[in-house]
Amino acid sequence: MTRIRTELFRQEAGKALKNRHLQEALSDFQERISKATATAFSSLPDAEGLRLEARRARMRAIENLDVLLERLADKILARGGRVFFARDAREAVEYCLETARRLGVKKVVKGKSMVAEEIGLNEALQEADIQVCETDVGEFIVQLAGEPPSHIIAPAVHKTKMEVGRLFSEKLGIPYTDDPVALTRAARDALRQRFLEADMGISGCNLACAETGHITTVSNEGNIRMASTLPRVHIAIMGMERIAARLADHDVLLRLLCMGAAGQRLAGYVSYLGGPRQPDQEDGPDEFHLVVLDNGRSRILADEDFREILCCIRCAACLNVCPVYGKIGGHAYGHVYCGPVGSVLAPLFVGVNRAKDLCLGETLCGACRDACPLHIDLPGMLLRLRSKLADGDDGWGVKRERPAEKLFFMLWAGLVRSPGLYALALSAAAFLQRLLPGAKDTITRLPYPFHEWTQSRDIKRLDGRAFRKRWKELR
Amino acid sequence: MNPSEAADRTRFMENVRRALGFPPGRREVPGGLFRDRPDREVLQAIHDAKTRSRDSRLELLELLRERAGPLKTGVTAVEDAGAAALAVARLVRETCPEWGVEKRVAVWRHPLTARLDLPRILADSDVPVFTADLCAPGLEGMPAEESREHIRKSVVESCIGVTAADYCVADTATLVMKTRPGQPRMLSLVPSVHIAVITLDQILADLRELYAFLRWETREREEEGLTNCMTMVTGPSKTADIELSMVHGAHGPRGLHIVVIIGPAASAAN
Repeated sequence: MTRIRTELFRQEAGKALKNRHLQEALSDFQERISKATATAFSSLPDAEGLRLEARRARMRAIENLDVLLERLADKILARGGRVFFARDAREAVEYCLETARRLGVKKVVKGKSMVAEEIGLNEALQEADIQVCETDVGEFIVQLAGEPPSHIIAPAVHKTKMEVGRLFSEKLGIPYTDDPVALTRAARDALRQRFLEADMGISGCNLACAETGHITTVSNEGNIRMASTLPRVHIAIMGMERIAARLADHDVLLRLLCMGAAGQRLAGYVSYLGGPRQPDQEDGPDEFHLVVLDNGRSRILADEDFREILCCIRCAACLNVCPVYGKIGGHAYGHVYCGPVGSVLAPLFVGVNRAKDLCLGETLCGACRDACPLHIDLPGMLLRLRSKLADGDDGWGVKRERPAEKLFFMLWAGLVRSPGLYALALSAAAFLQRLLPGAKDTITRLPYPFHEWTQSRDIKRLDGRAFRKRWKELR
Repeated sequence: MNPSEAADRTRFMENVRRALGFPPGRREVPGGLFRDRPDREVLQAIHDAKTRSRDSRLELLELLRERAGPLKTGVTAVEDAGAAALAVARLVRETCPEWGVEKRVAVWRHPLTARLDLPRILADSDVPVFTADLCAPGLEGMPAEESREHIRKSVVESCIGVTAADYCVADTATLVMKTRPGQPRMLSLVPSVHIAVITLDQILADLRELYAFLRWETREREEEGLTNCMTMVTGPSKTADIELSMVHGAHGPRGLHIVVIIGPAASAAN
């Protein structure tokens, strides 16, 4: 499994904030991509209508997931493909390894897949002495650098072209250049050979179609087409929720995916794949496998408070507008899913306590909800996760964080409900605040356990008179 | 599917049904999630598209041109197959081989590309034309495995792939190609330049129309439907993974050209 480091969020975010290169790369990226997508989006005649239609289609799909997956599987089986249903990461990885072993696979080319990252497939294949090559240019860069991706669709967004230039000259043995054209050309040359030599291609799936029994892969580079065309076996891995009922649903969903991801009307390549090469065809893989992954998704599905997150089509529009992501980048989140969507998904996948700082670290500004092509209520879900942290939740196995805070608020509730006691406490506090440092009107540092309130700002001193009293005077 | 995989599937599905609060073994949805019959308006849209006037088809061609430009997709309109062949020949002349030294062209087995008679047209410039077809003369009698290997090698060595297409969507400048015998998907992917030859009546307005056709058009419904692979191509291969700089020719073709035969007699079907 890809190492989960959600516990280190604060520490890693702190490091990221001090990294000047990263700050520049991220702000430049967010500035450009969010503008491009917003412009493209506003050029649509009925953007709002499309969003509602897309949302309806997605909700209908996940609420009937069983029927859709059965249909998808039946159709693919009928074309000679194989479908494996994996309840968790281990089962999915085991199936891929088993298939690779059976066919004597030595070299794998991969199209970018977040689900493959989620289950830690690369590491498992490498441990089994199978060479794995990432083929998306961004993924190729981070793989050469020995890093995980830092963005759902732009994995090397945190790297400047100078860094890529140095990396390529060191690892690919080409003369240093920071020209993106020359660097891309170098990647093209290096990867072409890998495509031709590979025995197995592995990809994700953007959105399956139950009605016709196909998965789709979407890319701009053509690497996923290569990986699903040239090697003799193709394994596609999909999160079980990535499916639409009807072909007609793809119209609006694919358009919004491409719009949200890159401000495009349609991505360069959309492939509908529904089985291996048929007997009289010239190309395509001899074997086609689809791995459908649960890995915690059915648990989210069962909870209506969070079911909506399964509508996500992973366009990453929320990352591109998030002020927190824009400052700390993807690595700090310590999970394959980062940014606003990751701050909801990661806690649900790895445990809310373990990933608590992700949902506490977001600003709740709502930019993600506005940018989401499906209007997924990410801030609402962040709040629900926070309330689980405050109150504990047996269903999700959440332990209450900071019981003292809870106790404080209970006392506070009692206090504000008895005016006499409240006035007394207020006078006492007004008197005691003189001991605290600061100017005439402000306090610069509160004592423990309130110290975090003054960590980055001053707080106004108490007036000493209750609001009700002041209100009377004002009138 | 072997028994253990079937058991995995059942277990998985029951888990999903439990999460959704459905009874075990549910297979159908009241009211239906899928359609057996198209809506009246979908049929009407298909009918309208099929009976479009020549003028509105030419308008779609203009829209295609407009959308294709920023996507670095060349659109050339020609009168007939002969002119299309000359257009292809010109593009072939302008293309330099990227990996090898020899300039080669790979072509689909398709009635439309056959009408171009590329081997004859390109003979003058000494460019060999290879038809990527298991049934091509010269491959008969060879074991299928060997033929496939030979085809793959020849396509990899070709710097230009010439294909037809099933549809072309004007609104997004998208070519839609199904994989069929004699029409491998490699040709629109592996060579450095991809040229697609289509006819005016293959241009559809937008994706909605495309999906309506794919699902409900009579011939699609009764004869073929979606095959095991259908590719939608919009522009040449590109990446913006290094500082969001757009670079063309990431893994697939660096160049994409659509040659549209607009003569009144042109139809892909014959």
